[in-house]
Amino acid sequence: MIAAASVAAAQAADPSSDPNAVLALANMPVLWICALGVFLVIAIQSVIYMMAARKAAPAAGLSQQELKTTFRTGAIAAIGPSLAVVLVAVALLALFGTPATLVRIGLIGSVQYETAAASIAAGTVGAELGGPSYDQQAFAIMFFAMSLGGAMWMLSTLILTPLLKKGEHRMAKVNPALMTVVPAAALLGAFLSLGFAEVPKSSVHVITLAASALVMGACLLLARLPGMRWLREWGLGIAILLGLAAAYLAQAAGFAPAA
Amino acid sequence: MTAPFATTSGATATTSTPAASPGSMAEFDATTSRWGRLTMLAGLVFSLAGPLYLVFFADLGVTATALFTAFAAVAGTFFVIWIIEPITYFPILGPASMYQAFMIGNISNKLLPSALIAQARIDARPGTHRGGLAAVMAICGAAFVHLLSLLVFVGILGTWLISVIPESVTDVVRVYVLPAVLGAVIIQAIVSLKQVRATAVAAVVAALVQFVLVPLVPALGMAATAISVIVTLVIGWYVRKREPFEPTTTEGETHP
Repeated sequence: MIAAASVAAAQAADPSSDPNAVLALANMPVLWICALGVFLVIAIQSVIYMMAARKAAPAAGLSQQELKTTFRTGAIAAIGPSLAVVLVAVALLALFGTPATLVRIGLIGSVQYETAAASIAAGTVGAELGGPSYDQQAFAIMFFAMSLGGAMWMLSTLILTPLLKKGEHRMAKVNPALMTVVPAAALLGAFLSLGFAEVPKSSVHVITLAASALVMGACLLLARLPGMRWLREWGLGIAILLGLAAAYLAQAAGFAPAA
Repeated sequence: MTAPFATTSGATATTSTPAASPGSMAEFDATTSRWGRLTMLAGLVFSLAGPLYLVFFADLGVTATALFTAFAAVAGTFFVIWIIEPITYFPILGPASMYQAFMIGNISNKLLPSALIAQARIDARPGTHRGGLAAVMAICGAAFVHLLSLLVFVGILGTWLISVIPESVTDVVRVYVLPAVLGAVIIQAIVSLKQVRATAVAAVVAALVQFVLVPLVPALGMAATAISVIVTLVIGWYVRKREPFEPTTTEGETHP
């Protein structure tokens, strides 16, 4: 513990690991421009798709009124889930900065994969996300690895979609056990492993992990009640906030020194 | 453009139209796959440009080895998901929406519900042309709301919020947001995947790796999650439901 503390102290003295220095790097104008570029590309794609849909609507038996209705219905249905994503994203701003949070958590990826990827990548350079060893270099390596990981999803979509289009009927016959058991095992293995990796860090980490898990479990249980289905989307954000509240109280109660 | 017969009206349009006549579903397919691919490539480039700028021009002394190691650790954990997720969503989304969904993100919690609600609203069945177009329009609507709410509430208000919150609070958030996310995500995965055996295998394997293997061989720390995933995959496959239980292959692994 003494060795660890002195290492932490030495790293804290490194000016690039000052949280404000990391955030200054993470919020650089260049990164903002790249993030807004992704926003623009999605907007352009949507406009192209809507123009194509308007043209093809008569052939598909859709009236122009129905096109408007489906657009509006999709938009309204997305309000709740979008705000739920906003809540989660805001919680990660202090860690990733705004541009990375917007692109990685808000768009392309999701909070589950991206925080997992970030934690794994930071671990390879011996850094703990948000801890004293989380310096500018660790941020750059982590941001690179999570972005390239996200790019792999897009790459596999680009490669697989034309193939699946050709062999739609063949793919439907793939062993269904393969398609359910394998991804479930991979995801559970990844998230449980990352969760357990938090345990040795400090008792406050354990309290945070447990509080968040308990709140999420309660939210998912309550979501089964009539009229409470919205908790399925909001549960994640609520659990993260209450988990952080538990961390704040636990630290204030002296369970662990400020990191 | 030399379609022998044009399908211009009615709900009877078929996919067998050999070429893209104006206003046909074939033309829609051609337009969306060409522009869907191009825009997705553009999104891929923009999403990589930021981190590449930091690596090459920010003078942080990042080595190629460090980048490769970090990516390899992420790839070891998620390579299966990269391939399986697009295959899983293809039958639900259809080719056109694939290029939307995997760039906009948050597919299962936002885009799919939007598409399904919009289809139900106009009585269009999934898998038909009507259903396909309804899904595309609904995802466009969802994208519009999502881009706007992210820009306003995260980009502008969130950035401002972070600047006014006391430092003692942001410090706690920065240090403990990872366990706060993981605790909830683990429960969400267990409940939504509904795979009791895979959950049990993953819990035992991950605990052994993190609490026994890593303390014994600290050098394996950076590959710990990839090891957990691969071992869980292999054991999870052998003990999956519908297969006769084989105690000899799993006993030694799960009960140390």
